[in-house]
Order: sequence, then C-alpha cells, then structure tokens
Amino acid sequence: MVEKTVKCPSCGKTITCSGNPGEIVKVTCPSCYTEGKVTFPKNISNSDNAIEVFNLKKVYDDLIAVNDISFNVKKGEVFAFLGPNGAGKTTTVEMIESIRQPTEGTIKILGKDISKSFNEVKEFISILPQEFHSFERLTVRETLVYFSALYKKRANIDDIINILDLKEYEKKLYKALSGGLKQRVGVAIALVNDPEIIFLDEPTTGLDPKARREVWVVIASLRNKGKTIFLTTHYMEEAEYLADHIAIIHKGKIIAEGSLDELIDKYGKGSILHIKKCMDKDAIEALKERGFNAYPEGNGDIAVKIDYKERVLEVLSNLRHDCIDYESIDIRRSNLEEVFLNLTGAKLTEEEQ
Amino acid sequence: MNLRIVAADFVAQLKGWTRSRGTIFWAIVFPVLLILLFGAIFSGSDNPTYTLQVQDLDDSAWSHSYLENLTKIPVLKVEIIPKDENITQYITEKDLRGALVIPKGFGEKISESFVNKNVTVNLSFYYDPSDQGSTSVVRSILSSSLQELNLGLTGGHHVVGMSPVSTITKNFKYIDFFIPGMIGFTIMQICIYGSIERNTKYRKDGILRKLITTPITKTEWILSKMLFMMFLSFFSTAIAVIIGMVVWGVVINFNIWMLIILIANSFLFSGLGMIIGRFVKEEETADTAAGAISFPMMFLAGTFFPMEQMPVFLQTIAHALPLYYVNEGLRNAMIQLDFGKAAFNGGIVIIFAFIFFIAGVLLTKWKED
Repeated sequence: MVEKTVKCPSCGKTITCSGNPGEIVKVTCPSCYTEGKVTFPKNISNSDNAIEVFNLKKVYDDLIAVNDISFNVKKGEVFAFLGPNGAGKTTTVEMIESIRQPTEGTIKILGKDISKSFNEVKEFISILPQEFHSFERLTVRETLVYFSALYKKRANIDDIINILDLKEYEKKLYKALSGGLKQRVGVAIALVNDPEIIFLDEPTTGLDPKARREVWVVIASLRNKGKTIFLTTHYMEEAEYLADHIAIIHKGKIIAEGSLDELIDKYGKGSILHIKKCMDKDAIEALKERGFNAYPEGNGDIAVKIDYKERVLEVLSNLRHDCIDYESIDIRRSNLEEVFLNLTGAKLTEEEQ
Repeated sequence: MNLRIVAADFVAQLKGWTRSRGTIFWAIVFPVLLILLFGAIFSGSDNPTYTLQVQDLDDSAWSHSYLENLTKIPVLKVEIIPKDENITQYITEKDLRGALVIPKGFGEKISESFVNKNVTVNLSFYYDPSDQGSTSVVRSILSSSLQELNLGLTGGHHVVGMSPVSTITKNFKYIDFFIPGMIGFTIMQICIYGSIERNTKYRKDGILRKLITTPITKTEWILSKMLFMMFLSFFSTAIAVIIGMVVWGVVINFNIWMLIILIANSFLFSGLGMIIGRFVKEEETADTAAGAISFPMMFLAGTFFPMEQMPVFLQTIAHALPLYYVNEGLRNAMIQLDFGKAAFNGGIVIIFAFIFFIAGVLLTKWKED
C-alpha cells in the first residue's frame, strides 16, 4: 500500500489517498465533493524516479545553454521546470526527450540510459512539443488514430476523447480549432499510448486565461491518473497550481528546487498580514513589544510578517486586547515571483523581456 | 520495418492531400488546364506551313527549276519578291523574318559547273538571327533542298523525297511532345513541394520533434512518403494521359521504361526537395527556393517547347538539368518508342535520382542541433 497526494481538478484542494501499485481508487473531494479516480502506477523500474538527470550540459559554440544540471523526477508527480524564456528549459527537456544531443551528462528514463536505450523507452513516454501544431487537414479523431497507430501499446481513443471533452469536435479538422482546443488535442495526442511519463513543453503559451485554465484542469486530472508529468513553463501561476515539485532554472543553471511550500519558506518572505487603516499611532510599537515583526506601509496601514498561521490569531487578539481599531485585514503569502526575485534580483516577467 | 506504421502514415497523407485545394490544383487541375490550353493553341500546327519569300534575280531555267522544286515541299509556301525591289529595304518594309535571293548568274554558274567543278554559286538567305522559331525551320528545309540539288548536279544519284527537317519531332503532333513534358514537370512540382512541406512546415510545427519520440523510424517515415509521392506521380500521370488520349487523341505507349522513369523521377525530385528543406529552414523561403529552381528548369528543360528552338547556350545549360532527361526519356518511351534513347535518358535520370535521393536522406535530420 502506498500513499499519494492529488489535487482536485475542480477546486485545487490537495487530497491524500492510498492504494496498491496498478490499483485505481475512487476519491471524493472533501471540499467540493467532485468525484474522481486516482491510479497508482505500476512499477516498471525499481527506482522511485521516473527521470534521473546527472550533470547535463549543452554547449553551442561559446554559449552554455545548459550548465551541468542534475535533478530527479519522481513517479506520479508533476515536475515543473520554471524559468524565463531563454533560461534553458526547452533545451533541457529536448535533451531528455532525445531530440537534442547533450554535450555532457547522463539521462535515465524509467531506469534506462536514453543514450543507449531510447527506443525501449518510447512506448512509455509521450511529449507535447512547444508550439505544436498537428496535421491541419486531419480531423481530431483521425489525428488520434494516426498517432495511436505508431505505438504497440494503445489507449482507447473514445476514452481519450471523453477525458479531454473533445466529443463535439472529433469530426472537425485540426486547423478549424481554437488555440485552446488545439492544445487539448495536443494533450490528447500525448495520451494515445497510455504513457507513464508525459512531457508538456510550455503547454499554455499563447492561450487566453480561460483556455489556459482549461488546460490546467486537464493536466491536473492526468496527474490524478498516476501519470508523471514533466512540465516546462514560464508562468509561475501554472507551476503554483499544478506542480508537486518545482525546479527554477536561470541562465542554464538550476538555482532552486523543492515543493512550492519549501521554495517559499526558503526563498520567499513567508506570509504578510496587512492591517488596513489602523487608527492607533502606537500600534506598531505595541506589536513590536510583543515580539511581532511589524512595520508601516503608509496610509495608516501596517504589515506584520507571519511565520506560521497561528500567529495571525495572536496578532489580532493583541490588537483587540489593546483596543486598537482597524478597517480590515488581508493575508498575502509569498509567491514564486517573489522567490525568483529574491534568487535572481529580477522579476520573472522582466527576465522574459 | 513496421508496415502497419507505414500504412497509417500513407493513409493520413492521402486524407490530408484530398482535403487540400492547393495541392489538388497543382497536381490535377493545373496540368489538365495546361494540356487543354496548349493542346488548343497548337492544335492547328500539326502540319505547319512556313512562308518563304524568294527574289529570283536570275530568272533562268535553272532558277525556275529550283523554285518549282521548292514549291513542291508541302510545308513551304513560296512567295515571289519582284526583281526590282531592294531586298533589305523590302524586308524591313514588309517586316519579313527571312528571304531567299537567287543571284544573277545562278543558271550560268550551274551550267559552268558541268565543265569546271570548281565553279560555285551561293544563294543568299536573309534572316533575323534573334528569331529562333520558324526561320530556323526554313533554313533547315533550304539546306535539305540544296543538298538534293547538289546531288543531282554532281552526277550522283537522284535523292528521292526531299524531307523537310522539322524542329518538332518528325511525324508527331505538338501535343505528343507536350504531354510527356507536362507529366515530368507535374511530378517534379509535387515531389519538390511535398518534400519541402515535410521538412520545413513539419519541423516548424513540432511534428518532427513529436515523431522522434514515437516508435516510427526515419526509414519507415521516408518509405511511406516515397510511396505516397509515387502514388501521386502515377495519379497525375494517369490524369494527363487520359486527357491527352480522350481530348487530343494522343497515342500513349505504356512500357517498362515509362514506369522506370516515372519512379526515378519521384525519387529524384523528392531528394532535391529534401536537400532544399535541409538548408532552407523557413517554409516561405523554402517555397521561394523551390520555385527559383523548378521554374527556370521547367522552361529550360524543354517542357513546353522543343529544345531546338532555343539558342545554343541555353541548350547546353538544359543538358545539365535533370528534368531535360526526364522529359526526353518519357517522350522516347511513351510516344516515340525509341527504347535505346529511353534507356540512355532513363539511365541518366536514375543516376540523378540516386545521387539526389541518397543526399536528401542523409541530409534529412529529425534531431535538432
């Protein structure tokens, strides 16, 4: 029996459930009561790692695109490779997918060294390349049938169409679909061989917020089916929403790695309690005397750094005790943008420019 | 080699192709239109006649005899220029493309030649050197007629049947010449542009990157593409042949050399397309590059007009172009039934195909740098 943590595709709540390898377990979200199934992957390798990367390096003439990076991706997790454009994300993922030849380093997928045995691994992986456009004049169903025919191991096309909610578009030509639908078809293509590992390279780039959200829901549902997902993205919200494990890459180097909480705890500013329109001039001094890290924010607002969530109640009860009045409160947690800023001195969005 | 994968890829291409108006236009509609159009334009020139203006300054029995012989040539319509006209002025005023002048003393010189073999006489043929069309045909006819005359005069055997030397293949209609050229050209277009689409558009769209990570091999992929290209080649050939036979009554001979040249042609230009697609990464630029190579080749390789009508230096260039050997080989095999020449031209096509296709396959890379 193994434990697995999944995210509800509807509300995003984290749910922990248990099952045996190869078992499919029914789960109900305690928050929104959405029902779903969680698949526990069969082990085809003794290792818990789906992907292992050792000292990977890619050099173009005098440009070092990827500089000696190492990391592991665990089976069944969503691994987000986050970084600005040009950081080395796609070069890295394309070396793992065997599209590019590494200058140095070793890559293992499901325990196999891909420089020697990539053909053996092909049946177990699938990719959605960056800016992928399929055959324009095939319908959605024909596209899935085509890619399915390339594999020995094949998933049921009808199931894939239903999972990705493509039933009403299955007879439409690929070129007639919207950007969001094309990406959904791209994800559907990535499922035709029922892969263990799915590589999604910038799957939501160029999509509007609604279409992006739709793709996120699909990716979250794949994770809940036990798929290992390697996601490259430059959208921090995407990594925050989907990822179990995040590696931040900057100028070809991994500069931080861990879960969202770990990264924020280590490199963020934690959580900040914002007290709006506090009328008492001595409020900051009073909070400081009681050991809180409080500081003014202008317009009578006060910010208090919160190390753990119980401290919020302590701050509020102290204000009440001292009869200090205020208009409202707001708690803001550090995010990946802040983590990136602290690590590199630049905003993720600025780096892209 | 997994034939199931090859078949799946073939079927997907076929479906995509039947839904593309552009590719159907270039593979079917365009050649059919040209065959109908060119067939109609040249349908009246199956037995062409050429007008020859002659000024007889001699006005002797010999000159009359020679003129009479000229008028018996079926393709020649002889018109007489008055003796008192200044020939160069007359040509300019009447905008003539050529004129023959029989000099004064022509008859006397011929009579003398029976006694003195060193006596010669020259006719003057005025012509516009820039006109490589009918003028060159008329010159050829005149050369033949003079050759016959000389043979008669020098006591040799009388040469019966003075044949006009047509620049168009002897005894064949223009449409017989045109249809094999059109087939060669259409296959060239289909294969070059098909290869370019696969090597540039598929690369840009990430399809090649996707395929690398699937079990399909490069060999299976190229095999399926070549089978499809050959299918299209045979399909467009069939369309051209049917139109030619039904509309213009062309007699097509089906034989092994025709088949060999059609297949070699598909490999040749698919290989050329792969080479272009390898070096020119952007789709639009690759299309331009393909056009820059294929369109001049179309005109220079004798697709629409006989090579003999072109200036000599262009004819020399044409001999370096693979499409020339395709067109000639197809004409030899399909129309003229000259299997010796078909084997020669077909052999050159096979050599070109081997070089271009092998180079194309070796240069085609799925992997990125």
